[in-house]
Amino acid sequence: MKITEEIKISDNGFVFNSKTGDSFNLNPFGLELIKQIAEDKDFESIRNVMLEKYDVDDLTMEKDYYEFYAMLKHHQIIAQDDSLDFK
Amino acid sequence: MSKQKLTLAVTGLNNTDNPGPGVPVIRGAKESEDFDVRVIGLVYENLEPGIYMEDLCDRIFQIPYPSSGSDELIERVEQIHQQEKIDVLIPNFDAELFSFMKYEQRLLDQGIHTFLPSLKQFQEREKDQLAKYGEKYGVKVPGSINLGSVGQISEMEDKFDYPVMIKGQFYDAYEAGNEEQVKQAFFKISAKWGFPVIAQEFVKGTEVNVIALGDGKGNTIAAVPMRKQYITDKGKAWGGITLADDKMMKLTRMLIQKTKWKGGMELELIKTNSGEYNLIEINPRIPAWVYLAVGAGQNIPDALIKLALGWDVKPMTEYKIGKMFVRYSYDMIVDLEKFAAISINKEI
Repeated sequence: MKITEEIKISDNGFVFNSKTGDSFNLNPFGLELIKQIAEDKDFESIRNVMLEKYDVDDLTMEKDYYEFYAMLKHHQIIAQDDSLDFK
Repeated sequence: MSKQKLTLAVTGLNNTDNPGPGVPVIRGAKESEDFDVRVIGLVYENLEPGIYMEDLCDRIFQIPYPSSGSDELIERVEQIHQQEKIDVLIPNFDAELFSFMKYEQRLLDQGIHTFLPSLKQFQEREKDQLAKYGEKYGVKVPGSINLGSVGQISEMEDKFDYPVMIKGQFYDAYEAGNEEQVKQAFFKISAKWGFPVIAQEFVKGTEVNVIALGDGKGNTIAAVPMRKQYITDKGKAWGGITLADDKMMKLTRMLIQKTKWKGGMELELIKTNSGEYNLIEINPRIPAWVYLAVGAGQNIPDALIKLALGWDVKPMTEYKIGKMFVRYSYDMIVDLEKFAAISINKEI
């Protein structure tokens, strides 16, 4: 998974998609998550980092991660070959 | 280097909630590094806000609507030219373009330069011709039917599902979700803009636009894509942002190259969820959001003036991505004398 090159992520949590003109505000947890994803880390390593940094249980973390990931795909923030592939 | 003095005449000073491009065109021209511009504002109505804006126009003249006849309009411009010596004229309304295109040579013979599309270029992109245009130049265009009477609604229903877009030849567009709404829009538009009324297939997606300038030889001198971020109830952009979209740029360059478009233009596109672009309209002039392009690094009014004067203008390929414009309304306090002067003398 790869964050598309048109995406600009600011340290204050503002995310701008220069291809679509969409912008999003992330809370600190979301910002940390997207930065980890941008570094191309797999779910296991992201989970370990997030569990260590935040007061969150394993199950909630996993649920939030996959919801967030689906949202990134939906808003074309993560590159996908087939734009209709929402798997 | 000293700037060249230039007298520029501009229409479209109606900076209302349905703004004309005149004011931002003037702002762009005044920011030119090559011209010291003296501005002649040409207005149709005595309450066009551009008349009253400080430091915008040096002179203002009222001109007759094109509907009162092309001859009358051109004769008035010639009369103004005798006093003011206009070097370049930038018309900004679709409805007046025909008159200025028709008399382009007559104006040029007197020293008034314009940079307008040819009559053929103008006509083939008209809304009721758009389907043919799409086929000819290989661009996806939503299906449409030209309605001459409400009796054709059933024909339209056989072809398209609701909703549909009902559009006027020059302006106005309404989304209609059933037969009754189509009729309402049909009567409203035909009363204002005449026939045909165009029923266009509704394409779901995001509206994106490109402002561009063609040199008439197939070269794209300027092009900036934008997405409207805030849209008024009249469908006008009240805020917008420049995009990084190669597909839109390629489409623009392809159209300008194939049609050899001359002058300013705006492409209105719908980007579907599957990433397809549907061309829904081509405006044959500079749009009202032109100042965003100036702010993003492409001074289109300045380049258009240079092309009109026959200068060699190199294509501008760079612009700042993520630049935004936000419109605002502002109450000016105006002395009655100015209003009286334009109302009685037809000039200030």
